[in-house]
Amino acid sequence: MLQAVARPRSLAEAHSILESSDRSAIIAGGTAIMPVLNYGTDEFDNLVSLRGSGISGIDISGARATIGATTTLSEIEAQDELAFLRPALDAIGSPTIRNMATVGGNLFVKQPYGDFAACLIALGAEVTIAGPNGERCEPVEKTVASRPGRGEIVTKLSFALPAAGAFKFWKAARKAFNSAAIVTVAALVEMNGGVVSACRIALGGVANTAIRARSSEKELTGKPLDRITVEAVAKEALKDIAPFDDAYATAWYRARVTPVHVRRALLGA
Amino acid sequence: MRGETARQSSHWEETVKKSVVSLTINGAETQMLVAPGATLLEALREGQGLTGTRRGCEQGTCGTCTVLVDGKPMLSCLIPVETIEDARVETIEGVTPAQGLHPIQEAFLDGFATQCGFCTPGMIMATVGLLAVNPNPTREDAVRAISGNVCRCTGYEAIIDAVLDAAARVRTANAQAKAA
Repeated sequence: MLQAVARPRSLAEAHSILESSDRSAIIAGGTAIMPVLNYGTDEFDNLVSLRGSGISGIDISGARATIGATTTLSEIEAQDELAFLRPALDAIGSPTIRNMATVGGNLFVKQPYGDFAACLIALGAEVTIAGPNGERCEPVEKTVASRPGRGEIVTKLSFALPAAGAFKFWKAARKAFNSAAIVTVAALVEMNGGVVSACRIALGGVANTAIRARSSEKELTGKPLDRITVEAVAKEALKDIAPFDDAYATAWYRARVTPVHVRRALLGA
Repeated sequence: MRGETARQSSHWEETVKKSVVSLTINGAETQMLVAPGATLLEALREGQGLTGTRRGCEQGTCGTCTVLVDGKPMLSCLIPVETIEDARVETIEGVTPAQGLHPIQEAFLDGFATQCGFCTPGMIMATVGLLAVNPNPTREDAVRAISGNVCRCTGYEAIIDAVLDAAARVRTANAQAKAA
């Protein structure tokens, strides 16, 4: 049974509360942890709410965006400089959910949710994690795969704003709005002299966490973004995925359609 | 639901330390004594007797507990009330005028957009949230706005039509208010 909900007014206060109890869970928007609590759990006794701990807000400086961890997905949607992310955000949950769900929390939701984490992986976002002994930075895919340690809090994410048209997003789901991923593809494709000079391709819905499709990336780099190349690139993604069965789709189906959606993400068709 | 017994009994557990939370509910400043982790939904229904907000799935899936928090639609079942100290909360009771119905409610009634009625408060609060930022929604906007609200009776078409009709009625009412 829940014993207390702490409302730290600063990160320092949050750290001291987390250190004093190993039965505490962090809550930000609540869309992931409250269903667990409402169902009934004995995994934690205390909630530490990051609402009001001063780590929300969006800063656009030059060509770089920095987003505080408790910024909601709706707040990101409202930011004109981040308009390239609107199609992706629109595919996540409902507007009501996006008014609550935070960018930091989205890194840790269970698959097949967490499409924004896939976007951040594609963007090469860097995560700042504050612990009792100071701050550290790491690539977002590491945070998603390994999760922060006890007492650590994700405080912000930052990424370079992509060139126009370089960011690509495609999601296969059961319905147009508010449905979990069958396959989500987010990619950053940089062109130079008619060939792909650099790329990052992230996939959601096809492994235990959002992942990078490194085999596809390797196949695409240095080549033109044409149909023949992309068909081969899309098939390579099968080497990187570890799909699962759930109520939305079988693992077999996810694997079967992954190349199709990688192709659609990269070519738009 | 399995969690029900544990969550409800926490209200009556004298050893648990309760705390005072201040909210503005439907325009009235309210202070309430809540058990740790009590949701906004519980506080509204059991603390304030505002039972228009429905308890549905408690998983954030069905949308029938939708209320406005600081003007935005949110799911009251997913908010520990202690974490939104001093927020403005609006519920279906706050939307309903002292006499008659709100134009959104009239649109739902006239358009047969409610059958069993369980989803209706959430649908209407999602519509209030939509029309506050988008007074002239497209059909797609309406579908998007209610995409977090489940209705097992209507098949949604009547509700989508009612949202669009409600938008027209609210525009007319606002124009008349402006002219007057």
